[in-house]
Amino acid sequence: MKKIAIYGKGGIGKSTTVSNLAAAFAEMGLRVLQIGCDPKADSTFLLHPDRPSVPVLDLIRRGGNFSLGDMVTEGFGGVFCVEAGGPAPGTGCAGRGIIAALEKLAEKGAYEVYRPDVVLYDVLGDVVCGGFSMPMREGYADHVFILTSGENMAIHAAANIAMAVEHFAGRGYARLGGLILNRRNVPREAEKVEELAGDIHAPVVGALDWSETVQRAADENKTVLERFPESGMAGEYRALARAVLAAAEG
Amino acid sequence: MIDLRKTDPGVTIAEAAFPAPFAGTLEYASPARGPWNIVHVGMLIPESRQIFACAEGCLRGVVLTAAEMGAMDRFSTVAIEEHDVLDGDFEEMLVDGVSDILNGLQEKPRAVLLFTSCIHHFVACDLGYVYGTLRRRFPDVDFTDCYMTPILRQTSSPDALMRRQLYAALRPMAPDPHRANFIGGATSPAASCDLREIFASAGWTVGDITECKTYDEYLAMAKASLNVTMIPSAKPAGEELERRLGQRHLYLPVSYDYNEIDTLLCALTEAIGAPVPDTRAKREAAETALRQARGTLGGMPVALDYTATTRPLGLARLLLEHGFTVSDVYADGFTADERADFDWLRERVPSLRVRPTVHPAMRVQPRDHTETLAVGQKAAYFTGTNHFVNLVEGGADGAGLWGYDGVARLASLMADAARTEQDTRSIISVKGWGCCC
Repeated sequence: MKKIAIYGKGGIGKSTTVSNLAAAFAEMGLRVLQIGCDPKADSTFLLHPDRPSVPVLDLIRRGGNFSLGDMVTEGFGGVFCVEAGGPAPGTGCAGRGIIAALEKLAEKGAYEVYRPDVVLYDVLGDVVCGGFSMPMREGYADHVFILTSGENMAIHAAANIAMAVEHFAGRGYARLGGLILNRRNVPREAEKVEELAGDIHAPVVGALDWSETVQRAADENKTVLERFPESGMAGEYRALARAVLAAAEG
Repeated sequence: MIDLRKTDPGVTIAEAAFPAPFAGTLEYASPARGPWNIVHVGMLIPESRQIFACAEGCLRGVVLTAAEMGAMDRFSTVAIEEHDVLDGDFEEMLVDGVSDILNGLQEKPRAVLLFTSCIHHFVACDLGYVYGTLRRRFPDVDFTDCYMTPILRQTSSPDALMRRQLYAALRPMAPDPHRANFIGGATSPAASCDLREIFASAGWTVGDITECKTYDEYLAMAKASLNVTMIPSAKPAGEELERRLGQRHLYLPVSYDYNEIDTLLCALTEAIGAPVPDTRAKREAAETALRQARGTLGGMPVALDYTATTRPLGLARLLLEHGFTVSDVYADGFTADERADFDWLRERVPSLRVRPTVHPAMRVQPRDHTETLAVGQKAAYFTGTNHFVNLVEGGADGAGLWGYDGVARLASLMADAARTEQDTRSIISVKGWGCCC
């Protein structure tokens, strides 16, 4: 089982990328579990727009007993989708929400029941507290990949995430698998991301072009692989999926 | 403004809902505690040390308990302050704090019970890392994860969790087919207990953590092939040991119903291959003791509480069926085992009062029922009586009361209490009275 966490600055395109990666893995014949670790609970939306997941935190809040099946929605390509959910904006503790959701998934035996070949944790933004580092821990992700563009704030966030991974290295937590460049076509973009990769001693495992195809698919609430499977972007996601898997072998 | 003194929060059993007769409110904690707390229970492991890691405000209760028990030499704390939350490395803080404590001791304990608190769970402290590091650093010490997490008590009973963790250090050993344990109770069943007689008749030995004097004796409990639990909060311990060590678990709940007692005794005989006992003489002895107690009490009303026995409704029913006057049952809720007795009492004695112990109005209710006989510390406190049987969790005078023998002994204790007043206040003001650690 490959357990992979994708981190990156808010708005950098993590959920879109992770959903397309999930679809690409599924296309390769792999069983995929995608876990959205974001209080907005929109990580997996593109995979099942007509049947939104009930976030785990909502199920917990409702009280009573609920089953593993209540937490998991099967989406495009047979991808098993889970949303951690979280408190209303401005209230509560989003990190605590991730903790509770991941603990509940483990408690209900999600990994044993669905036996995924690949688990993808789509984690909100920077590592801001213990809850957001939870997917890095032993027993969760084995590898962390950071999605970044060449924009300064995205690079700054990526550096912080890499620091967190390094901080926890002695504890047997996830290793840094590498960077994924999601191009925004800013000046010196590839060069800046390569500089970052050198600083954090991690490879750039793949790159995605900026493309209207991604936006057009998202406008129809679909992944690129579902809506435009023959497009060049679909090919880029497939190549990225192979590259991520290869990097996660290490 | 509500005058709580004029508010009786009690209900008749006819009005009461099962299993929760009262709505949740702000809770009042009376000075009469009754059962043991997590410190008392944990201290049952010989040669162990407890380390509590939490904010100083939360430490107060457990420190006082340890001091009251005279067990401060087996107790340490790691205080968490606000800057620790801001700095955020709870894992290193726990590892360093525990290491400092252990390195400062002339002699290392055989076992450490490390109690984490609510804040560790709020911030998702990586306890796997903490315990892994401590075990590598102190390979001769057994570390058990324990929890002081009152904020989680509605999702996982701290009491049941503690009783489960009490046996977490047991490791697989070659099983002895004729060895059993009583587990999860604060007092070991009396020597004359019906269960002990059956074990003895089949040539079995029975251990109990309350009788262990050394850590090795404690570890040897893993040799048993059968564990018997008698209270609901001990069941998770029995289930966990069955899963982890393969020790068969038999739940034989405290009961005051003769037919149920016979059924439970048969379950034990079947489990260990003992002959089915003839219980007629024991049943008659229980009846005789009840008649004598009834004669001694006359019309003296009896009040019971849930800390005295996990089946207060079953006990109330037994007493009512034998001509006693039962006035009040103090309980905030009932266990599933009580359903049949609840239904019986509703139908036959609908006026029986059920009174809460944690409702704020109980703080100011009159405590002037001095001619009542109380069974249990909370019943004694709320009635204000000195006619008092100090039954805690089904045990009295250091012996657990179970089955016919338990009924007879309890009846005898009730007769004694009717005849002789005790200094209730001095007894119930001690937490975990009777703790034998």
